Amino acid sequence: MKYVGKSVKRVDGIKKVTGSLKYVDDIKLSKMLYAAVKRSPYAHANIVNINIERAKALKGVKDIITGDLFTKRAGLYLEDKNFLAVGKARYNGEAVAAVCAETEEIAQEAVNLIEVEYEVLPAVTNAKDGMKKNAPLVHPDLGDYKCAPVFFPEPGTNISNHYKQRKGDAPKAFEEAYYVIENTFYVPHVQHVPIEPHTAIAQMDADGCLTVWSSCQSPYAVRQSLSVAFDIPLNKLRVISPAVGGGFGSKAGTTLEGIIIPLAMRLRGRPIKLTYTREDEFQNAYVRQGLHSKIKTAVNKEGKITAVQNEFIWDGGAYTEYGVNIAKAAGYASTGPYDIDNVWTDSYCVYTNHPVGGPYRGFGMCEIHFCIEQNLDIVAEEIGLTPYEIRKINGMKPGGTTGTGELVTQSGLMECLEQVSADIKINEKSKLSSSKKVRGKGIACGWKSPSMPNDAGSSAIIKLNEDGTAHLLVSAQDIGQGSDTVMTQIAAEVLSISPDKITIRTGDTDCTPYEWQTVASRITYSAGRAVYEACQDAKSQLLELSQIKLGIYERDLKLKDGYVVSKIYPDKKIAIADLALGLTFDDGSGIHGPIIGRGSFIPPNIRNADKHTGLGEHPVAYWTYGVQGVEVEVDIETGETKVLKVASCFDVGKVINPQLIEGQVEGAILQGMGTALLEELMLKDGKVMNPSFVDYKIPTSGDIPEMIIKFVENPEETGPFGARGVAEPAMVPTAPAIANAIYDATGIRLNTMPMTAEKILSAIKAKEI
Amino acid sequence: MNSVEYYSPTSLKEALNLLAAYGEEASILNGGTDLIVRMREGQSKPKVIVDIKKIDELHKIEIEDNYVFIGACVHLNDLGKHQYIIEKYPFLAKAALSIGSNQVRNRATCIGNICNASPLADTATPLLSLNADVHIYSENGLRTVPLNQFFVFVRKTILKQDEIVTGISFEDDDSILGVFYKMSRRKEVDLSTVCSTVIKSNKGYFVSYGAVAPTPVRLYKTESFLNENTLSQETIKEACMIASQEVSPISDIRATEKYRREIVEVTLQNSLLEWL
Amino acid sequence: MKKTINFILNGEPVEHAVDTNKTLLKMLREDFDLTGTKEGCGAGECGACTVIMDGKAVNSCLVLAVESEGKDILTIEGLTVNGELDPLQTSFVENAALQCGYCTPGMIMTAKAMLNENPNPSLDEIKEGISGNLCRCTGYKKIIEAIHSVAEQNNS
Repeated sequence: MKYVGKSVKRVDGIKKVTGSLKYVDDIKLSKMLYAAVKRSPYAHANIVNINIERAKALKGVKDIITGDLFTKRAGLYLEDKNFLAVGKARYNGEAVAAVCAETEEIAQEAVNLIEVEYEVLPAVTNAKDGMKKNAPLVHPDLGDYKCAPVFFPEPGTNISNHYKQRKGDAPKAFEEAYYVIENTFYVPHVQHVPIEPHTAIAQMDADGCLTVWSSCQSPYAVRQSLSVAFDIPLNKLRVISPAVGGGFGSKAGTTLEGIIIPLAMRLRGRPIKLTYTREDEFQNAYVRQGLHSKIKTAVNKEGKITAVQNEFIWDGGAYTEYGVNIAKAAGYASTGPYDIDNVWTDSYCVYTNHPVGGPYRGFGMCEIHFCIEQNLDIVAEEIGLTPYEIRKINGMKPGGTTGTGELVTQSGLMECLEQVSADIKINEKSKLSSSKKVRGKGIACGWKSPSMPNDAGSSAIIKLNEDGTAHLLVSAQDIGQGSDTVMTQIAAEVLSISPDKITIRTGDTDCTPYEWQTVASRITYSAGRAVYEACQDAKSQLLELSQIKLGIYERDLKLKDGYVVSKIYPDKKIAIADLALGLTFDDGSGIHGPIIGRGSFIPPNIRNADKHTGLGEHPVAYWTYGVQGVEVEVDIETGETKVLKVASCFDVGKVINPQLIEGQVEGAILQGMGTALLEELMLKDGKVMNPSFVDYKIPTSGDIPEMIIKFVENPEETGPFGARGVAEPAMVPTAPAIANAIYDATGIRLNTMPMTAEKILSAIKAKEI
Repeated sequence: MNSVEYYSPTSLKEALNLLAAYGEEASILNGGTDLIVRMREGQSKPKVIVDIKKIDELHKIEIEDNYVFIGACVHLNDLGKHQYIIEKYPFLAKAALSIGSNQVRNRATCIGNICNASPLADTATPLLSLNADVHIYSENGLRTVPLNQFFVFVRKTILKQDEIVTGISFEDDDSILGVFYKMSRRKEVDLSTVCSTVIKSNKGYFVSYGAVAPTPVRLYKTESFLNENTLSQETIKEACMIASQEVSPISDIRATEKYRREIVEVTLQNSLLEWL
Repeated sequence: MKKTINFILNGEPVEHAVDTNKTLLKMLREDFDLTGTKEGCGAGECGACTVIMDGKAVNSCLVLAVESEGKDILTIEGLTVNGELDPLQTSFVENAALQCGYCTPGMIMTAKAMLNENPNPSLDEIKEGISGNLCRCTGYKKIIEAIHSVAEQNNS
């Protein structure tokens, strides 16, 4: 292959290194107004009265809205949220009123003049408490909410989804087990921290057409949500996402768009902009849900896991329109990448008065694997196996079955395990560096499937130009992962024209074709396949015309370097340029007209699992498997941990762009390290105590370890050129591998993240006593 | 940010006049890395800003007459990369370079770090242990105040509204050896969980800690113990115990009181072990 | 309240009346449309707004615009001269040292100032030098390699 599998340079590179790419906050429109938001200082409180008179009187204020003006709920999977609180505020920071004014400063000043009277309610600040019988209800009307049929809310409680997985006969397996062990873990809330905060502009024209410029990953999903919330037909609602400065899931759904749209609807003609501050980003955008987990494991004498019983309690926050799917995904992935015959899993998404939980890179998987992979090491030690051995015995191999009962035909997990074990030298004990510093190694496996509706679709259009160049239109968003480049490579490969002759356009629901969402590591796979199909479509049109022109059967023609060429007589050829607008005959007449290739894709044959057992023949598109190994050094006097080395190997089916895929894994490792060692959204009575970079630390260049990054390629037959997704899966094993390495180094097992110096030192001291 | 009137005087006299004229409404702007953040967050709302960076005499580092003088507008990077400081007072250079990012250190100053009176000011502990004097200029002329009398409480110093700190000085002493430690959650660009400077010279031991009390502090009891005893494994251990009791840290979102006391012990022990 | 200031902006002398409470970052973005300089936190913690002032990298969110009086300010837009990319810009593209691109201008300006000061930094010096620029996408490795390769070109 000429372009696929090569490190083609990023097609968006020059725009980004010159600072010329315009992100939403860089857009200046004439007569633009600026919004600011009044937020609840309480985690749970009835809104008794809102007095906007003083704010309204301020010079430069154009409009003020409160929640009672637009009471229709929105949400992706469960319609449970309002963009402005209606009746009561459910988290500290929830928007209760919004102002728009001539300048940001005036808008902010006006916000300070709004007086809100609250009646403070008891708050749910722990998901486990939220499940108790007498817990205050965050959503008393849950039973009335519209919900996709694959989710199971329990009205009258705070449980917005109870997902069950029942495979085999777990109770019996526990009875018969050689050894049973139970462990509990807690994963706190973290935030995605894209360097670009959320931002959006909304403008409604005189004829009722609304345009929203939003830094969003999924323009079509955003369009759909907003259409429902504001009763605007889809043909009158245009969502443009010109560039996204990092998303990681936080920009997958709707957040601040719904705050400015009502203002835009009332002030027709005026564009209204709202940009979050970093503090907003930590409190008022999505956060990763917290997780309380309990894992009970049964093993036989040989170390084969015979059963698991999992309880996952997700701290979903005030709204779980997206979070319900995280509980579901965690439920059906709850075995981890292991072949286990008997499974009993309950995964609960629970409303709390915490910031809104949402999808974060590998949602559900990073959290449960922190528990699963540590649990596995504990089990291994108890029965006298090494971490490598227990994974070798139980790891998923072709012929095994997943927790949903699906037969596995493709899994490179064992190859990844061998590769990583060799790269990290798992069987060699780490050398001591000094008497005050100890070293250790750990490994962890991971798996993930795209957590999406069965019929999540992608589409693409390729338009050929009369000079032999092409335009590729998709709505897969390049949020940094490099999809613009990868889509271009796939098109270049199929059409056999060089990538620099293809211009890709994305992110405009009026102009670029449907894409469900840029999430779930599904873009290379799904949008890539749509691009592949679109180019095949264009190709078949080219061959059809060439057959007429050259008098050679289509089957004997191929595309090569901008030409349609005879496979037999290479000098018989016609330029793609000469066919782009159709075929013209010697007499000047023409046929066919301009060539436009169209491609659509839905992963084939994915069917809902049984709603009582979670069992199904093919409930997900595919699984991505991988392994990481790390070596750490722990300072036993201070508890500080340094990650020295990370080895990673994933089965990605096919590497489309080696340089870009490496970048995905490197970034994922650092994010995994961040959650393992540094990051936690500290919540006190529902309030975020560290909503800034001063006290929420993400890794810097000073923290990077040596990274050894490898891939194996067992093709995914439905993916383009065999490719499957990896950007999220690559983060999944990092944190548990670090936890396991810390244990190897110190004998300390921490059942919670982040594993800070203080926690480690405290555990070391406790162990000494 | 609120609306402000901006002045950039070129002499100390002019600056004093402005401070006198506007009183409480005026704020001195030096590196700005603290003030501008506070203004953004609405914690400081000055009506008048007096930018002192155009006053040439405040930009010097002077080594003469057995004294080292660091001017008010000397950036942390200039201090941390100053050849003489690196050679003779590496712990001070290290402290200066441990603050913020490179970009911050290109603006922030050592004097700003001191005048903010943060309990965890990183350059405060080396200067406290160096027995530095703060040079304060006012209508009545220049006076010097020992740094250990300069801090009053969290973000509070003895400085009056119409006074300007022109710099800080300490005796240039060839016998000084010192060790600076900074414990932080993240390796680069973080605030101290605990910071410390221990100095040993012909005059004895000088031990200072940050982030363990409302202001950066000298640990006088610990110092007396060290000065009265010969350094050994045992005395180091005892000194550490004394130090961990002498400090009065609090628990906050960065660390607990207990951890801070433990780190005080570890850092003091490791500092003293250098000389065993 | 406005004050007229004179300074050099990307090589050109400029006279400009600016609000005294505006940061350099806001002035560059709002008054000069130089939107390559980004705001990531507004508090000097992320480095996305890094520009070069009199040869030194600074966070433009921590500088009042009026403090630019008499200064020489270089932004990402000033690095490309007559359409010719700076070697750092080329190297970032070559090494895939960027993903979402939001931290990239600030990162490049920090690197530019660092290489001006020290044309031959070690890998560790590069790591330390860019530690005030947060990147959430790349894991920094390719950024460090991109800067190092320019340093090597400079010294070969």
